[in-house]
Amino acid sequence: MTADERQARLAAFMTERFGVEADPWPDGGPIVPVEQHVALAAALQAELGYTLYVYCVASHWPDETPKGGDLIPEHYEVATGLRSVGAGSHVAMWRVSVPVGAGVPTLADLFAGADWQEREQYDLVGVVFDDHPDLRRLMLPEEWVGHPLRKDYAIETGHLPWR
Amino acid sequence: MNPWLHGALYGVVLLAVLMTIVAWATWFERKFAGRMQSRMGPTIVGWAGLLQPISDAFKLLQKEDIVPARADKTLFNLAPPLTLFFALAVAAVVPFSPGLLASDMDVGVLYILALSGLTVFPIWTAGWASNNKYALLGGMRAVAQGISYEIPLLMAAAVPIVLAGTMSLGGIVEFQVQHGWLIWWPPGPGLFAFIIFLLAALAEGNRIPFDIPEAESELVSGPSTEYTGIKFGLFYLGEYVHTMISGAVMSALFFGGWDGPFAPGLHWMVFKTLFFFVVLLWMRWSLVRYRPDQLMAICWKYLVPASLVVLLWAAVTVVGGPA
Amino acid sequence: MAVKANIDSGRWGDPYLDLSTYTADADLMELNMGPQHPSTHGVFRVVLWLDGETIVKAVPHPGYLHRGVEKLCEKLTYVQITPIVDKNDYVAPMLNEQAVNMAVEQLMGIEVPRRARWLRTLLAELQRVASHLLWLGTFGIDLGGALGGGTSLFMYCFRERELIMDLFEGLTGSRFHYNTHTVGGNRHDVPAGWAEQVKQVLTFIERHIDEYVAVLDHPIFEQRTMNVGVIDAELALGLGLTGPVLRASGVDHDLRRDAPYHAYDEIDFKVPIAHGGDCYARYEVRVAEMRESIRMARDLIDGLPEGPLVGARPIKTPVQVKIKSGQAYVALETPRGELGTYVIAGGDNRNASPYRFKIRPPSLHSVSALPWVLPGHQVSDVVAILGSLDPIMGEVDR
Repeated sequence: MTADERQARLAAFMTERFGVEADPWPDGGPIVPVEQHVALAAALQAELGYTLYVYCVASHWPDETPKGGDLIPEHYEVATGLRSVGAGSHVAMWRVSVPVGAGVPTLADLFAGADWQEREQYDLVGVVFDDHPDLRRLMLPEEWVGHPLRKDYAIETGHLPWR
Repeated sequence: MNPWLHGALYGVVLLAVLMTIVAWATWFERKFAGRMQSRMGPTIVGWAGLLQPISDAFKLLQKEDIVPARADKTLFNLAPPLTLFFALAVAAVVPFSPGLLASDMDVGVLYILALSGLTVFPIWTAGWASNNKYALLGGMRAVAQGISYEIPLLMAAAVPIVLAGTMSLGGIVEFQVQHGWLIWWPPGPGLFAFIIFLLAALAEGNRIPFDIPEAESELVSGPSTEYTGIKFGLFYLGEYVHTMISGAVMSALFFGGWDGPFAPGLHWMVFKTLFFFVVLLWMRWSLVRYRPDQLMAICWKYLVPASLVVLLWAAVTVVGGPA
Repeated sequence: MAVKANIDSGRWGDPYLDLSTYTADADLMELNMGPQHPSTHGVFRVVLWLDGETIVKAVPHPGYLHRGVEKLCEKLTYVQITPIVDKNDYVAPMLNEQAVNMAVEQLMGIEVPRRARWLRTLLAELQRVASHLLWLGTFGIDLGGALGGGTSLFMYCFRERELIMDLFEGLTGSRFHYNTHTVGGNRHDVPAGWAEQVKQVLTFIERHIDEYVAVLDHPIFEQRTMNVGVIDAELALGLGLTGPVLRASGVDHDLRRDAPYHAYDEIDFKVPIAHGGDCYARYEVRVAEMRESIRMARDLIDGLPEGPLVGARPIKTPVQVKIKSGQAYVALETPRGELGTYVIAGGDNRNASPYRFKIRPPSLHSVSALPWVLPGHQVSDVVAILGSLDPIMGEVDR
């Protein structure tokens, strides 16, 4: 199966099983409700052969009012990618969006690699992953204050415990 | 001459000669390793880097002597000189040519084995006294390895004793001068005993592929991790002396010691000793090391049974055979 | 669910082991391996709990080389990012540059000219050989020690790697941090006589690879690597291991073939795999890959097409690289596996720099295998396993 065929099958699968609007396919994958995050990953792994855990990217979006639009409240976006191995390898990507303070369910039960990737995103961006078996900071020291990849993290001033 | 006076005088001369040889053996090893690795080795200090050992010694003497704060100071300071002492003490009974030895003990071989068995203690002491986990692991490995390999070493050394009927190293060499080298004659036990002895001596001397107590890629530097300056140097010196002496013991036990045509006995003995030293270096710079459990398996599964069989073989040869 | 079942059945080591429930004959010893340790390939720390010499639990602590590259890149323009990511995987910098520029090219919809694509492929393959050579040498040191046979292998491998460095220096002017890839093409064209030089070097290296294999073809090496650090296919996939480590576990997957980029769909090559999943299988795969890469590089230098290195509308100033919005994940196959770049463009930042820049380093995933694999092994195996995973700490920590 070529990558294009896989992409079409994935879009159809997401729409049918999870009711996700995936046409046209957005950059970075469609936004999936948080409750379906784990179910989608499990279905992709078990049914469509997306067995290779690729990435987990969280990004922080502060309050924003686009020109002529309504306020978009502060939120996190967590993008996940799974890959099918072998010929016509293809990445299934989707995103979940959660308000600050709410958690994203962990994929560490399905993919061993999600453990560290989610720890890294928690460390750098500050997203909390619910039910994570071992949610500690990965890169920064345990006693570090703040999450550097957040947009409200001051970069001009020093940060405890290092200056 | 008074044996005490003879021993003392000879000891001083032997010490001076041996230490000089060992110092330049380090130069030789570095050159040798350099050639094996397509690089130059030492070239800066003196012609072809020949003064490098002196420069090294001065460097080590200048270094700050650090004793870890929570180490056991007495034991910590005692370990390096003891290592060197046990290694050097073996040299007393090694005959370099007829009559040229500090003391022709009747139980020379036993004395050598006893002292080389004792070398485990300073290494363990160093590992324990350093108050460092790597050093402790290294010390534990050294004890396990030293005690295990003591057995095949002893059995293999017993083969020449059985064949020659004497425990004096000088006597064993005399026997070989008359009857032929033990490695060839009587055919069989000597050769196998030599192979076992070589392997066990490698392990006793902590040389690659059996250098697991030091294992610098795993245990940083094993028991000598916390040592600096000249104390570290003493460990190193001890190791070299040990290697050199095992070469000498091997040539005395199996290769006829000073026996050889054309040249005086001393030349042959030194030549054979250095030959074995180079063989050990060669192995060191071309092999990777074993894992501790594999090392133990080799000893207990293969070397110990094999050495028992070889010893039995030797006994049968003596009782019923041509010897 | 699957992960927990595999831990409980004892198939995988347990990274979450509660030490208070572990019963040993004696006390467990907590050994802090690193961050200052000869074989942690940089600054890496693993806390080991030892029962005798057997590892009960391993907890790695990366981050000692964390330089905040992702945060830094948010403040740089797309063009300025290229020389920064050179410093991530400092053993294969060429591929870091390519990963970033491919992502920007995809977001901007820029077509790369054919000659540039071939040149990129050639550089990637040469870099792969250089990287694997360095790996082989350091793996020798891990197994044989800095004062032993391992060092001999290390010296030989570095001699050959130096030749490839010289080639890169001839092409780009620098040995290490090349900054030769740019958005839409390559910066440096092939100098006169370079092609000949490449072929000579390739012949020289190919001949010497046989010697390394001969050096390592002895029982000690096999005993140290066979059945040590076995990673089965399921664990490898779940952990996101890629590259030689995944292929050594028997998964036939290579982005160069399965999701072609550059000029990989135009040339012929085989993807070596092995089935052991142990350190020896990883060694086999890397050596076979080196040979294959040399063959590919020879084809590439012969078939290097004529033409421009940059497109019809070359990017001349950084200001020209502007992306209003969009997200892209672009991946390529480095010597260590899938190096991905996830770029979120636009947002509140100026259009010239990314809103969020994430590098998906293959080494981070490799290192994350340690707590799953190490339990049950000996202390000596730690360096063998860590070495066989070929982690580059600059890339792990970023």
